[in-house]
Amino acid sequence: MVRIKNRYLLVNILYPKLESATSKTPIPDVVAFNQPTSSSLDQNVLLKAIRAQVLELFGDYGSGAVLDSLQIKYFSQATSTFILRVSRSHYQIAWAALSFMTKEPVKNGKNCVFRVVRVSGTIRKAEEEGIRRAKEIVIMARREMGEQSDSTLDNIFGKGGKNNAADATNDITMVDAVDSEDEELSDDD
Amino acid sequence: MSYDLNIPFLSSTPTPELERTIAFLASLGYTTLALSQTHNASSLPSQVTNTIPLPPVLKTPSKTTILRRCTLILSDPAHNPRLTVLSQSYDMLALRPTTEKAYLSACLSMPEISIISLDLTQRFGFHFKPKPLMTAVNRGVRFEINYAQAVQGDGPARRNFISNAMAIIRGTKGRGIVISSEATDVIAVRAPADVLNLLGVWGLGRERGLEALGVNPRGVVVNEGLKRSGFRGVIDVVNGGERPVVEKKEGGKESAKTKTKRKVEETTVEGTPPISKRQAKRMKLEALKALKANASSQSQKEGSSSSQIKTQIQSKAMTLDSTSKLKPKG
Repeated sequence: MVRIKNRYLLVNILYPKLESATSKTPIPDVVAFNQPTSSSLDQNVLLKAIRAQVLELFGDYGSGAVLDSLQIKYFSQATSTFILRVSRSHYQIAWAALSFMTKEPVKNGKNCVFRVVRVSGTIRKAEEEGIRRAKEIVIMARREMGEQSDSTLDNIFGKGGKNNAADATNDITMVDAVDSEDEELSDDD
Repeated sequence: MSYDLNIPFLSSTPTPELERTIAFLASLGYTTLALSQTHNASSLPSQVTNTIPLPPVLKTPSKTTILRRCTLILSDPAHNPRLTVLSQSYDMLALRPTTEKAYLSACLSMPEISIISLDLTQRFGFHFKPKPLMTAVNRGVRFEINYAQAVQGDGPARRNFISNAMAIIRGTKGRGIVISSEATDVIAVRAPADVLNLLGVWGLGRERGLEALGVNPRGVVVNEGLKRSGFRGVIDVVNGGERPVVEKKEGGKESAKTKTKRKVEETTVEGTPPISKRQAKRMKLEALKALKANASSQSQKEGSSSSQIKTQIQSKAMTLDSTSKLKPKG
C-alpha cells in the first residue's frame, strides 16, 4: 500500500493596504505588511473560506479533489502564518484559490494578501522555514526602526541585516526549485 | 530579479498609495517597476506630456528601478497615433488594440511598440492564431498578461481572462510572454511564486513562466533603452564624448556657422566620412549631368558600358542618401 503524499504550504498573510494614519509615529513598512491577524479569525473559519474559494474557482471537481486532504496544520495569529496541507496531486488548485483571496474571511475583515512562501513535502521543513522567516522579519523591522530613530539598535545587531534582506529576496524566486529537490528526498524515506 | 512592467499611474491616485504599492512590490522581490500612463489614440492631445514622477519626488526603496511607460489604446490603425512622438517622452511604449484590425497591424507592422498589452477581460471576436502571434514574437514584440485583471475582476471578467490567457499561451507556446500586474489597488498584487503557480494552472510551464517574469521583460527594458540612447540599435552610446569648449570668435554669424557645422561632424563621426553640404550638392549635380549625358549616349553605346555607369551613379546616389539621413533634425 502506497502512502498518501501531501504538500505543506507555508502561507503568510500580508496587509499591504494603506490605512488612515492613526498613530503619530510612522510604522515601518515591514511591520505594517506583517501585522497580526484579527483575533476573530481561527482555523475553522479560514479553512471554510479556502474551501469556498476553491469551489468558486474550480467548481465541484476542484473542491472534491482537495476536500479530503485540505487541512490547516498550524495557525498563528501573532505572526499571521499558517501551514496548509493538501494532497500532492492537487496542491496547485489550493494555491491558486489562495491567490484569489483578497480579504480576511471574517466580519469587517481587513484586505489582505495570502502569500505562499514555501511548498514542502514534509511539515518539518515548512516549520523550520516559518521560524527562519519570522526571525528575519524581526531583524528587518528592528533595522528599519533603528534607521528611523537611533543607530543604537544598529550597533547591537550589527550591519548583518542588509545581507539577510538580500537573501530573503533570493529565496522568493528560488523557492520552488529548492523544494522539489527536498521533497523528493523526503518522499523516499 | 523579477520585473513588473505595468503599474497603472493615474493622476487621481494619491502619492502615498502609489508609494505603498511600490514598497510592497519591492518587498515581494520585484526589482524593476514601470509606471504606466494610458492614452487613447482617438483622443490624443496635440502635446503629450509625461506627468509620471520619478524617484527624487517619489519615495521608493533604494534598490528598485522605476521606469515610465505609455499604454496606448488603439481601435483603428488608420488613425495615425503618432507613435514616434509618444515613444520619445516615455521609457517604453505599449499598445492595447481593441479590434482585430488594430491587433493584426500591431502584430505585423508598427516598429515602435515593444509590448502588446491586451485587455483580456473582454471577449474578443477573433481567435489568437499562432501565425500573427509568432510573427510578433519573432519581431521582438512581447505579449503581456496582466494577472490583476483576473484577481480584481468579477465572474465573467475572470472567465474571459482565463480563456484569453490560455489562448495566447497556446498560440505562442509560452514564448514571448511578459507577466505584469496592472493592479489599480495594492491588494491585487501577488508575489512572483504565486503568479507562477496561477499561470501554471492555466497552462504556462514553470520554465516559460520564469522567463516571462525575468528574461523577457528584461529584454524589453534593454531594447527600449537601446532604441533611445543607442545608435541604430547597434551601438549603445554610453558616453558620447565631450568636446573641449572653443572660445567664441567675434561676430555672431560666424559662431553660429561653426555651431551648425560642428553638429554635422558629430553625427557623422560614427562611420562615413563627413561631406559638407556644398560638396554634397556638387556631387548631386554631377550625378544628374552624368545621368542626362548617359541617357543621350545610351542609344549609341553598347549596353555593357552604360550599365557600368549606371551602377556608378547608383552608388553615388546611395552615399548621398546616407548623408542626408545623418543630417541633424533641426
